[in-house]
Amino acid sequence: MSSITGIFSKEAVQEKIHEPKPYSNPYLVGIGLGLVLLAAFIIMGRGLGASGAFSSLVAAGVQQVAPDHAANNPYFKEYIGDGSTNPLKDWLVFEVLGVFVGGLISGLLAHRVKKTVEKGDRISVRNRLIFAFIGGGLMGFGAKLARGCTSGQALTGGALLNLGSWAFMMMVFAGAYGMAYFMRRQWT
Amino acid sequence: MNAPFFKFDFFSADFSLVIAFAIGIGFGFALERGGFGNARILASQFYFTDMRVLKVMFSAIVTAMLGVFFFVAFGWLDLSLVYYTDTNLIPQVVGGLILGVGFVVGGYCPGTSCVSAATGRIDGVIYLLGVMAGIFVFGEIFPLIEGFYYSSNMGRVFLPDYLGLSYGMIVFLVVLMAVGAFAAAEWGEKKMAAKSGGVK
Amino acid sequence: MKMIELLQKIDLKIKLAIIAIFLGITAFIISNPFDNSIAKINVKNLAVMVQTEVDHVNVDEIADWIIKDKSDYRLIDLRTEKEFNDYNIPTSENIPITNLLDGELARNEKIVLYSEGGIHSAQAWFLLKAKEYKSVYILRGGLEEWKDRILFPKLISNATPEDKAKFEIASAISRYFGGQPQIVTGSEITLSVANPNPTPKIQAPTGSSIGGAQKKKKREGC
Repeated sequence: MSSITGIFSKEAVQEKIHEPKPYSNPYLVGIGLGLVLLAAFIIMGRGLGASGAFSSLVAAGVQQVAPDHAANNPYFKEYIGDGSTNPLKDWLVFEVLGVFVGGLISGLLAHRVKKTVEKGDRISVRNRLIFAFIGGGLMGFGAKLARGCTSGQALTGGALLNLGSWAFMMMVFAGAYGMAYFMRRQWT
Repeated sequence: MNAPFFKFDFFSADFSLVIAFAIGIGFGFALERGGFGNARILASQFYFTDMRVLKVMFSAIVTAMLGVFFFVAFGWLDLSLVYYTDTNLIPQVVGGLILGVGFVVGGYCPGTSCVSAATGRIDGVIYLLGVMAGIFVFGEIFPLIEGFYYSSNMGRVFLPDYLGLSYGMIVFLVVLMAVGAFAAAEWGEKKMAAKSGGVK
Repeated sequence: MKMIELLQKIDLKIKLAIIAIFLGITAFIISNPFDNSIAKINVKNLAVMVQTEVDHVNVDEIADWIIKDKSDYRLIDLRTEKEFNDYNIPTSENIPITNLLDGELARNEKIVLYSEGGIHSAQAWFLLKAKEYKSVYILRGGLEEWKDRILFPKLISNATPEDKAKFEIASAISRYFGGQPQIVTGSEITLSVANPNPTPKIQAPTGSSIGGAQKKKKREGC
């Protein structure tokens, strides 16, 4: 009897070790994130970003498939540049590569890396993935129109007290809260 | 001290890519620690059950803003050399709305979706494909919306100049606003937890 | 001891909020960290720079840079707009001295100043140095020297072969900038004959090449 409970508790301990740890205190995370952003300002003279890296990627992709088409498009052309350098040899592209690595390191340390789909209970996996794609599409389009996403505008421009960034940030919350009711089946 | 270092040629453009990678690691690490690799946590911001997005974002903004202010005040940082985008008010307002809708539909923003994809979330990967599709569509129809894209350009607008208040005053107001928002968020979370009858 | 216990009891959130508000109030008291019209200067440092003349650029150096199409510096003409429009050194930009600190120039740029002689540019140099602009240079002798040595180089008739060789180079540069090399005999000045050794034809720099360099800078935003 005692040996059984002994094994049981040992398993329980092991189970506990591999359990995902709870997320950190949001204020401390925020301060950490703020210091990363501050470091970017001081070292590089620029803020963080994310969507710009994907613009470079898309532009490079279009250039590969249809070089003439890319060269004639005023938007892609800006990311491709004058052809003297590879469009992917770009600050934001390397920064976003770091984001993948940093996220993975943190996830591994906290046992939070898991192949799964994040969704509420009332939606199928297939529908959730469709919504993810549509949401991503809207986000990509909106970010280009607004000249940046949550990182490039809200965080960076917010800390630098840029008028457009603050207007943008308010609108993001407005748009999200406005849409939240219609999306409740996906999340709650 | 002469910051931004890069603008004063402390290191080469090639080395800046190494720094980009290092800063990205810090960025990704912080996002994951905050729970931003998980769409459910991000989305719960918009149902008032977990206000992490607001807390993390605003404490980051306040931290960086205070840091920049004091670096400028000590004469260490030349703010005119720190890059930020021009204000094009109407496209940015419309873009912000679209982005907000996309946030709650897709569950991520571009930065957080990278973290989610890196930690194995399939929806994060699909979301990223969506982002690229959205950018592609934007690029393709860009000639049609070019006029709108460049409309209402106000140049580089610094909030203190725009509002006619001192830099320090605005910093103080933003801090007050953030602390107020945090207090409201804490209070709201407690309310929501009590309402759903569960103990958080 | 009691103080520490009391501090430990306070919730982390509250502590952070207090720190943030404290820093916010400090910012409010500082109010405006970049008051633009007052500056502190290191007199000794500047005196040493004046003494060692490290901040001078010669007209032939500038001519060389323009021909080589270097774009890592900005050449600033401090004279009035009218004077600038009458004649200016190619690739230069016109920023009258009163507008110098209005934010046209960035602190990390290499800036070469010139005026008619050398006095205005020397004075402007002090203004910029006081505002901690990193690398500011003065064109030695200003536009007068540029005209004398670059546009209208002179050769006296009884010159040595060495001088003549130098003059050939100077003439090529002069013609490049649209000037006229001159030979002085006694008190008379005659235009020199065409250069017998054909120098490599150099394309004149245009404004667009400078603009091109600017445009190459990629977008930095998100």
